[in-house]
Amino acid sequence: MRQAQPRLRAAFSLGVTTLLVVGLVASQWLLGDFPQQMQFNARLAPPSVDHWLGTDALGRELWARTLAGLALSFWVGCLAALLSTLIALSLAALATLSARLDALVSLLIDTLLSVPHLILLMLIAFALGGGTQAVIIAVAVTHWPSLARVLRAELWQLRQAPYVRISRALGKSRWFVLHGHLLPHLLPHCLVGALLLFPHAILHEAALTFLGFGLSPSQPAIGVLLADATRYLSGGYWWLGVFPGLGLLLMVLGFERLSSQLRRAL
Amino acid sequence: MPGLPRPILLGITLSCLVASTAVQAKEQLVLAIGGEPDQGFDPLLGWGQYGNPLFQSTLLSRGRDLTPQPELATEWSLSEDRLTWTLTLRDDARFADGTPLTAEDVAYTFHAAAKAGGRADLSSLDHAQAVDEHTVTLHLRAPRITFVDQLMTLGIVPNAERDNGYSEQYGRQPLGSGPYQLVEWQEGEQLIVERNPYFYGPTPAFERLVFLFTGEDATLSAAHAGQLDIAAVPPALATKVPAHMQRLIMESVDNRGILFPMQPVNGEHAASGAPIGNDVTADVAIRQAINLAIDRDTLVEVALQGYGRPAFGPADGLPWSSRNERLDAPDLAQAEAILDAAGWRLGDDGLRYKEGLPARFRLTYPSSDTTRQLLAEVSAEMVRPLGIEMQPTGRHWDEIQREALHQDAIMFGFGSHSPQEIYYLFHSQHAGNGFYNSGFYANPEVDAHLDAAQAADSIEQANQYWQAAQWDGTTGYGLRGDSSWAWLVNLEHVYLADTCLDVGELGVAPHGHGWPITANLLEWRWTCD
Repeated sequence: MRQAQPRLRAAFSLGVTTLLVVGLVASQWLLGDFPQQMQFNARLAPPSVDHWLGTDALGRELWARTLAGLALSFWVGCLAALLSTLIALSLAALATLSARLDALVSLLIDTLLSVPHLILLMLIAFALGGGTQAVIIAVAVTHWPSLARVLRAELWQLRQAPYVRISRALGKSRWFVLHGHLLPHLLPHCLVGALLLFPHAILHEAALTFLGFGLSPSQPAIGVLLADATRYLSGGYWWLGVFPGLGLLLMVLGFERLSSQLRRAL
Repeated sequence: MPGLPRPILLGITLSCLVASTAVQAKEQLVLAIGGEPDQGFDPLLGWGQYGNPLFQSTLLSRGRDLTPQPELATEWSLSEDRLTWTLTLRDDARFADGTPLTAEDVAYTFHAAAKAGGRADLSSLDHAQAVDEHTVTLHLRAPRITFVDQLMTLGIVPNAERDNGYSEQYGRQPLGSGPYQLVEWQEGEQLIVERNPYFYGPTPAFERLVFLFTGEDATLSAAHAGQLDIAAVPPALATKVPAHMQRLIMESVDNRGILFPMQPVNGEHAASGAPIGNDVTADVAIRQAINLAIDRDTLVEVALQGYGRPAFGPADGLPWSSRNERLDAPDLAQAEAILDAAGWRLGDDGLRYKEGLPARFRLTYPSSDTTRQLLAEVSAEMVRPLGIEMQPTGRHWDEIQREALHQDAIMFGFGSHSPQEIYYLFHSQHAGNGFYNSGFYANPEVDAHLDAAQAADSIEQANQYWQAAQWDGTTGYGLRGDSSWAWLVNLEHVYLADTCLDVGELGVAPHGHGWPITANLLEWRWTCD
């Protein structure tokens, strides 16, 4: 029962998060370009029955824009986390080929970990000219080191495992060893690692966009909504910042919880 | 007075003294009005192009009716052949280091500015000559009606051959004869200036000015926190005024509009490496349709909160702009008819296509500018029903220059007290030169009108040519002609100022660079204890 409980919790978290993600994606399909539609006679309207979360300076519904922003953050986070995991896995595999390559990869990991995330993110995003692609690349390129370190250690350990050594001694190919023995062990680590990266990725995407180095101010990204909100906060338009901020917080917490449940379960 | 006892008289005198001291007590003003120049405070490179350079003095100043007024020059005349300006300088003008400003400095400034290739248009200047210590002559190659504007905008710098003379570092350490001198400049953060003790004019009321270079949101927060005496705010954010401040509205000729790339894509790149051309905006039908579809009154209401008026040209209301250049209301039906006639067919996705080319292009704006962002987003929404997709895209200025300047439609702003700007914006000679004619607009007929205006005998005659360049009955750069721009709005500049600050009578501001509100700085007073 004690062993079953974490798995149950993980399954429950996975179910809830999947439902939320499906809802988020479906909402984008259903809403179309509604988040961009302006109502000039309802600018900066506070939350009410007609405008559930209020409207922005151009009369656009904040609930629709928050949903669109979360969906955008979700995709950016997904792609960045996936790319980051691939980089981590590739470099970890590279490190196991020789001691020199291992030293090189370790140096790269240590170097990247020693530079503050956000500064590196801003530099890369700025150099790439901003926009969705630049944000995904910047987040992916800066978030792999921690996972790479874990995967590298795991791979070194696995290579020394008796069944891997026996498999090699029996003349099995590298591909067979990798495919049959190493990857099945690494995949759960990759999955949890990617899930752990995801909240970081969306938070950094929002931060980057908030600071003006990320997505275009015309896209309904959470960072854009929050940056816009700061301009209007002193005018008393609190809803512009509160609801997108809460949405981001809930999404990050949801994935954080899911990843920690999965880590325990696996 | 003889009847008053001495103690009462002394009391009244002391009270007046204390009162006047209290009113004068405020020695420092903190301003957040933007306008930090990239190239420093060097007039030869463009600082003060709209007048009132603060650190330097100009030969003449611009009166409220836009006519020349004495400044460094007390007398001036133009020869019969309109080729020689003769100016007599005041004898009490000194630079901030105490050395006198002479005709040599003026001659040097004009020569150096002509070579520097900055914003001052001195292409017609043949040479400048110091006749004596206080008399200078400026000799032109050909008559040029707008040359007088250079006398009102070019700040005089010290001759490079004298002590503390002009050098490459001048923009960071300007030395001039204006009312203030630079004390410290932390780029991107703040500028501190203090009174120039040798200034020839009235002593400014404030010993020290601190200019903060903050973003829009930081400026607004600082204003609400009581840390600023005056703050420039975008109209959209000026709805709530802090209790200790008042809202100041300054009329302006500052405008915002969409500049269209005029050339089709042909693989060419500008010297900066930026690609040139846009196949969609190169079609006059697209440009005319956009001009017809935009509801400028709504733009003023939505993007400017009513602080402005619709714009139909680069100089609405000024004598060199035609009064007939306007649209009474948006006309979507006519816009659609123009697009249909030009072969732009509506597709199933709601977008128009011509020979497979979708009517889609980026509308780029500087991402730090709320007003331009709002204008871009609302304009895009207004042309969407036509089947034209303008994609509002926020970018940094350096990215705009590197990538977008000649291939995207750009949300620009101009507005000057001089028709010289019309020449820069629409003459093919300035195609691809800086921001002005970055769309590579070129029309030989328009060029001819602009050249005729520059060579005109009188301002009245010149104004006829300037207006003809806009529309001469056949062609022109304006709405009825090439529609090279979609001018949108003329702004009113909105400031939040401390209720104790009396800024006197504000004039009409040009484009926002160069702190237009400080034009009458010498009239500013602090009215509280």
